[in-house]
Amino acid sequence: MTDRLRRAARRLAVSVRRVLRVARWESARASGGVDRRTLAAGVALLLVAGGVVGVGVATGVAGLDVDRDVYRVGVDAESPYADAIEAEPSLRAVPAGTSSLGDSADAVVVTVVRPGSVDDETVDAADVEDVIVRASDTRKGEAAAAAVREAVEAHNERLMRAEPNRTAAFPVTVTLRYVGRTTGFDDGATLGGSDGGSTGGSTDGSADGTGGDGSGDGGSDDESGVADGGTGDGESDGADAGGTDSGDGAAESDGSDGLLGVPSIGGAAFGADTVGSPGSITPPFPFTSLLLAFVFLVPMNFLIQAYGSSILDERTNRRGEPLLVTPLSPGEIVAGKTLPYAATAAVVTTLIAALVGGGALSVIAVAPVAAAFLGATFVGAMFARSFKELTFVTVGVSVLLTTYAFVPAIFTNVTPVALVSPLTLVVFDLQGEAVSAGEALFSTAPMAVGAALLFGLGLGVYREEDMFSQKPVTRKFLDALAVRLSPVSVGSGLLDRGLLRALGAVALLTACTIPFVFVAELLAVAVLFALPVTVSIPVLLVSIAFIEEVAKSIALYAGFERGVFGRTDGVDAGEGRGGDGGTLRVALAVGIASGTGFFVAEKVTAVVQAVGLTDLFLGRAAFADVAGLSGLPPLALAALFFAPLALHVATTSVASVGASRGRTAYAVALTLATLGHAAYNVGVVSLG
Amino acid sequence: MIEVSGLRKTYGDFAAVVDSDFAVDDGEVFGIVGPNGAGKTTTLKVIAGLVEPTDGEVTVAGFDAGDSEMRRHLGFLPEESPLYEEMTALSYLRFFADLYDVPREVADERIGAALDRLELDHRERRLGDVSKGMKRKVAIARSLVNDPDVLVYDEPASGLDPVTTNSVLAFTRELRETGKTVVFSAHNLYHVESVCDRVAVMNEGRIVARGSVDEIRERHGETTYRVFTDVEPTATAALADLDATTEAVGDRFRTAVPSMDAVAAVREAVADAGGEVVDIRSREPSLEDVFLDIVGRPMPGRYTGDRGGDSLGVERNSDSDESDEGDEGDETSATATEATE
Repeated sequence: MTDRLRRAARRLAVSVRRVLRVARWESARASGGVDRRTLAAGVALLLVAGGVVGVGVATGVAGLDVDRDVYRVGVDAESPYADAIEAEPSLRAVPAGTSSLGDSADAVVVTVVRPGSVDDETVDAADVEDVIVRASDTRKGEAAAAAVREAVEAHNERLMRAEPNRTAAFPVTVTLRYVGRTTGFDDGATLGGSDGGSTGGSTDGSADGTGGDGSGDGGSDDESGVADGGTGDGESDGADAGGTDSGDGAAESDGSDGLLGVPSIGGAAFGADTVGSPGSITPPFPFTSLLLAFVFLVPMNFLIQAYGSSILDERTNRRGEPLLVTPLSPGEIVAGKTLPYAATAAVVTTLIAALVGGGALSVIAVAPVAAAFLGATFVGAMFARSFKELTFVTVGVSVLLTTYAFVPAIFTNVTPVALVSPLTLVVFDLQGEAVSAGEALFSTAPMAVGAALLFGLGLGVYREEDMFSQKPVTRKFLDALAVRLSPVSVGSGLLDRGLLRALGAVALLTACTIPFVFVAELLAVAVLFALPVTVSIPVLLVSIAFIEEVAKSIALYAGFERGVFGRTDGVDAGEGRGGDGGTLRVALAVGIASGTGFFVAEKVTAVVQAVGLTDLFLGRAAFADVAGLSGLPPLALAALFFAPLALHVATTSVASVGASRGRTAYAVALTLATLGHAAYNVGVVSLG
Repeated sequence: MIEVSGLRKTYGDFAAVVDSDFAVDDGEVFGIVGPNGAGKTTTLKVIAGLVEPTDGEVTVAGFDAGDSEMRRHLGFLPEESPLYEEMTALSYLRFFADLYDVPREVADERIGAALDRLELDHRERRLGDVSKGMKRKVAIARSLVNDPDVLVYDEPASGLDPVTTNSVLAFTRELRETGKTVVFSAHNLYHVESVCDRVAVMNEGRIVARGSVDEIRERHGETTYRVFTDVEPTATAALADLDATTEAVGDRFRTAVPSMDAVAAVREAVADAGGEVVDIRSREPSLEDVFLDIVGRPMPGRYTGDRGGDSLGVERNSDSDESDEGDEGDETSATATEATE
């Protein structure tokens, strides 16, 4: 045992040493490939960019605002609004008594005091009967009045936040309304099921949660503007509150109330009916955090250009062929070539995190995104036949992954679906919100595992026969899958070790598609989330069925297409390569193995339950077969638990038989399998 | 040192190599010769562990081909020499030495010796800026950085100028003297003939002849006799049986026949016509002749679906030797008397 461990450790050490050697030479090569002028231009560009960012950061730190002291506002020093004016950089307070509207002041705050309430020179809020902002009849005067109004609103918000009694500061009115349960897809009222108390608000719009925070009563009355500094208007309806932007704090405060810390969908500051899909709400757009999070993605786009070129360069004119005859394994070569780019991504990410105020969470969150960028580019570069094709690949990777990472993150403060993207963690981090380990895992694991599998897929064709040939992308993709399979010999007995190993390879390969299936399904949820439920649910169910059927059968098609499994014109007429059984039996055997592998892997990924995604109606529709099985008798529970197994085995067998007969038959069989699977999904959702 | 047994490599329905068997001894230079697409490169790549065989076994230095440890004993030179053009010759060779765990001092010593012998200058110049011949020499030097026991060279002198070609061939001969085992492919038969101890002739994926150059020449080539006469021989039955053809060459007539007995038949026919034999020349076949003789006929069993036929059977190509007096070959002249004695 000790010897074995020692040998393994020695092998690992040798492997690491080889990887580092390739990495070192790859770095030297990459730097040698750039001439000095280009390098100098790049460095200059970086310095300029860095300078701009630095100046921006310094400006932020020093408080150097370009819009400072833009408007002069006449306000008495004793006025309750003097502090509000003082706190707003764009406003400069001038004594109201000496100011002249249009001359020495753009606007004047006039405080109307209750008669007889002033017993000294001090005026407090209780003495104020009304406040009027008079502005000069110019565009600047209008802007000054608007700025005063916003300054007062912000001031009130700060005061409310400082209030120790949050309930008093942000009163909540909840109106309960019970409705009958429906099973149809139009159950819009259940969309926000994950949001607890806010659900009620969706039904009549009367419960505005934190919306009525006092400042948000509709804004100005007229052009001259009157900022109502009155107390909170708990009764105000959501439509009115929607006009304010004071909900950030509310959304953040709700974040801790939601399931596992996921921000509540019912951030009612944005409207009374702020539950459900984006189609029915105005999301709290975390613009600044999102923008900063996006900065993390920008360097990736440049990095993959260099990385993809390096990989394709190995394939051009067989340049990398001599490497393949060295003692290094393809994995070591690829790891060594990838390491400099991964290290660069890590360093750049850390630097950006330090610059924008992110922490370790941001770096951890971006790491799988960088890995996915590199992994997808690696596969693309292995499949591309020219630098022209590589350009399409890298652009495709950029667009797809940027979309996948960025779009869900827009809904960071709206819905747990946003956690599909690791960038959401960055937004949370930049907003200073806590993230649980489960959420972090949920957000990063699929992409990380997906990246690893992408590298595995590319490594399948990192061999002489595929690297230097001009095969179409589809053939290389099939090669990459087929290389992981072994011939299936169904005539050698069910317990034959070779047969079990071959079927195990099929099951494992299919199981490895789960992260991609998961990502694709989550992406489908995220995309369809914006549509009305009556449309999104049916489309989603069919989409998911198709995604899963393709995932389960594509490797089998590759096996038949590339000749790993035998294929003959007639069923039972031929012999599998290395096997004795007929094609039909081979197809059924691999179909059962693939379906089983998928079922097992699917059960392992029940992590979706951990973040409450299945509490969302759409999430429940997507992942219903791994959730909501409680409250049933054991027999029914077992039947329901294994029903997906029967489904996967049956549909995959159908697709497999089609795959064994050729491309057209596979397409037809895949369609049939998808329809069957979709029907099953509809049944599950209807029962649920 | 190298054992190839039942080697078969297919790409889909296409069979690149079919049922190949041969062995290469220690310190031997073994040539694989054949036309384009004969399967030479595929065979070499299987030996180098680059391509996995569909069937059969290949061992090199006691290891399975493709085994990581086997690669330490092997140096490979592909048909083309694409290098990392942004690197210098020296840094490129050091990189590969590094991958073989060769200490820097030892590596520099080997690299220096190889480059000196190959007369390669400009070692610090970027490889993108050097000539094709120099790149080839760098590639050859690369195959030696790990001091391998076995060298697999695919068309080492292909596309080079005559001076560089001779230099490369001479270097290959020297490798044999240092005890290296070399497997060497070429479609230029002169290269094979001048370097190799033994040869395997491949055609359409199969080995159709093997042995030393002399053995193959003896087995598959035959000495031909050209009988020059002053008149055209009479078309006798004996000449018809020999399928002998006569053509005019200047003011004489030339009749090619396969044996001295046939020469006698020509002599009788010429006498019948009132003329006489003025010259007889014998011609030894070159490897080129043998090669054309062997591969001049399409071999059966090219596709996996059709494995019928005696693939190793060699049939003579009836029109393989239509050369004139100036053709290649070892040709000797004899008087009519000498030839008939």
